[in-house]
Amino acid sequence: MKTFKKITALLSAALIALTATACTNNSDKASSDDDQLYRTVDEIKESGTIRIGVFTDKNPFGYVDNNGEYQGYDVYFAERIAQDLGVALEFVPTEAANRVEFLETGKVDIVLANFTVTDERAEKVDFALPYMKVALGIVSPDSDVITSVEQLTDKTLIVVKGTTAETYFTENYPAIKLQKYDEYNEAYSALQDGRGDAFSTDNTEVLAWALQNPGFTVGIETLGSIDKIAPAVTKDNTSLLNWINDEIASLADEQFFHKAYDETLADVYGTAVDKESLVVEGGVI
Amino acid sequence: MEGYEVIFAGNNFIRLLSGLWVTVRISLISIGISLILGFIMGTAMTGRNPFVKVLCRVYLEAVRIVPQLVWLFIMYFGITRLTGLNLSGEAASVIVFTIWGTAETADLVRSAFGSIPIHQFESGFSLGLSKIQLYIFVILPQALKNLFPNIINLATRMIKTTALISLIGVTEVLKVGKQIIDANRYEAPDAALWVYGVIFLMYFAVCFPLSLLSRRLTERKD
Amino acid sequence: MDWSFIAEYTPLFAESALLTIIIGGIGTLLSMLTGLVCALIKYFRIPVLKHIVTAYTELSRNTPLIVQLFFLYFGLPKAGIVLSSEACGIIGLTFLGGSYMAESFYAALGTVLKGQIDSADSLALNRVQTMRYVVFPQAARAAVSPICANVIFLLKETSVFSAVSLADLMYTAKDLIGMYYNTTEILSMLVVSYLLILLPVSGIFSLLERRINRGRI
Repeated sequence: MKTFKKITALLSAALIALTATACTNNSDKASSDDDQLYRTVDEIKESGTIRIGVFTDKNPFGYVDNNGEYQGYDVYFAERIAQDLGVALEFVPTEAANRVEFLETGKVDIVLANFTVTDERAEKVDFALPYMKVALGIVSPDSDVITSVEQLTDKTLIVVKGTTAETYFTENYPAIKLQKYDEYNEAYSALQDGRGDAFSTDNTEVLAWALQNPGFTVGIETLGSIDKIAPAVTKDNTSLLNWINDEIASLADEQFFHKAYDETLADVYGTAVDKESLVVEGGVI
Repeated sequence: MEGYEVIFAGNNFIRLLSGLWVTVRISLISIGISLILGFIMGTAMTGRNPFVKVLCRVYLEAVRIVPQLVWLFIMYFGITRLTGLNLSGEAASVIVFTIWGTAETADLVRSAFGSIPIHQFESGFSLGLSKIQLYIFVILPQALKNLFPNIINLATRMIKTTALISLIGVTEVLKVGKQIIDANRYEAPDAALWVYGVIFLMYFAVCFPLSLLSRRLTERKD
Repeated sequence: MDWSFIAEYTPLFAESALLTIIIGGIGTLLSMLTGLVCALIKYFRIPVLKHIVTAYTELSRNTPLIVQLFFLYFGLPKAGIVLSSEACGIIGLTFLGGSYMAESFYAALGTVLKGQIDSADSLALNRVQTMRYVVFPQAARAAVSPICANVIFLLKETSVFSAVSLADLMYTAKDLIGMYYNTTEILSMLVVSYLLILLPVSGIFSLLERRINRGRI
């Protein structure tokens, strides 16, 4: 039996090694054009469909409404891209954990899923010009309002996975204990149930929420530097990257993203939020 | 909007049902194939060939120990990286679940056969039954009786594990629930409990009949 | 393979592994206890309790742990009870695991032929003696493998805890992937962690199965 178990262990280890090798193969693949997994703009146009990865449960940026239609700030842009390319649009539901995998394997052409730009991520994918900027806000109960980040040192901060806040705090304040949830409503429930001392995400969102929920205040309205949200494509997919950048630049003429805000975000954020604090027109911050 | 109204807004309910259908479909296909392959493998494992036994054992351990999520990632993303072959999320799910199901079934079958006391075999032979007759009339019924609850166990486990496939882009019922909850986040912040309640009942509605079936079949054998 | 990444995050994985083992372990043990009690109740056909056990088994087995956890974690606070994620994890695992264990134990008890019990009776053994010397040893043979499968299943189910913000292995893995996207390294570490936990468990049960089957007639 002992030998058998050793065999199992060895074979399982071999399996892992195999997997690792399989997955790292991609670096070899990308070099030769024939083997590359991404599609160029011409290939996309030829196929007649573009695949864009979006979130399906992050209202109001990428979500599915009660009629099963995709809606949101990111979705609005995706639809325009498909329209201007002259192709049909296929939405691919993505999660924070698989955004990059989808691009690296070419299963989507573009990711428009509230993707915050960071240097590490830029090593894995190519970011286009930003179409949105984010400042973080922190909301906390009235009984114990957090007005500076230092106050969070021995406390628990709630964040939602895949948001800019998660990235920001993990990078800049690794000492603060984070409590992470998949969904916004879970995070809010947790805050209301007292499981955490504060919640952080886009300041637009927390401001809007605090207005609707008495007993909570946004103690910090703008935190840290401004983060950028940009479309992402597979690394080295220069044709598509350039196309998107040109697109964003040209859309500035019609103030496209301001319109996107009006159509998708204005109702949600109401008068609490200044449009200019979020919208990035023509890729210029 | 009140929390419970969310379920009936738009075509939310239909979407939940179609999400449920995705779950059921993938599970049914996977279990179906698993039962056949698993039975064959399980019988092989009770044989005398040590090489076959070891191989099957290693396969079982590897499949069982490595988390399903990892297998899904390997099958969906890893295979594409390796071969350029683009499997759909559903196809990858079915393959992964079948591989898992076969391994589990094989182990259950092996254990079921192994738990039958030897004197059953001996008595059978002394009564002049041939090997095949022995298996069909004496061993198999007893093995099946032990097998059924555990197979149903496996089936329900599989149905519930399908929640993972949302991570490779397949929208099943739990994901639809999350989408609905978030879409109505501003209008109906209390929708979550109601939506999860409905999903809870849906899973129950699918799994309970299976459970009843297993109960019905095992009781009759007495 | 980025080994520096692996080196940097191994402590984090170790921590989550520990948590998985502890919470998973407690939950699994409690579920085995619950399962055994429930199986015995069904076996001896104790009135009233028998029906409660059946209802419990059906309810918990046929619904996913994640939904059960959501009710415990997000639902109970509405009724004023706020349980920690650890507590929810243990309760959830016990609740779910208990029914699986009960079914497996019950099926195992069923493999013991009635003839055995009759013989014991005729030898004037009382209930407890019959169970201890005749039924349990034989039932154990049929129980070991399914129970092992259940234990491994439950330990892997702990991955669901990530949904209620409990930093188990899956939580850490998904977390890191979502931040740094070193998917290969992270999944490899995940596999190794589960291997280190589950392989010994599997081994122990294999050993157990061999010892029990040694006296096979």
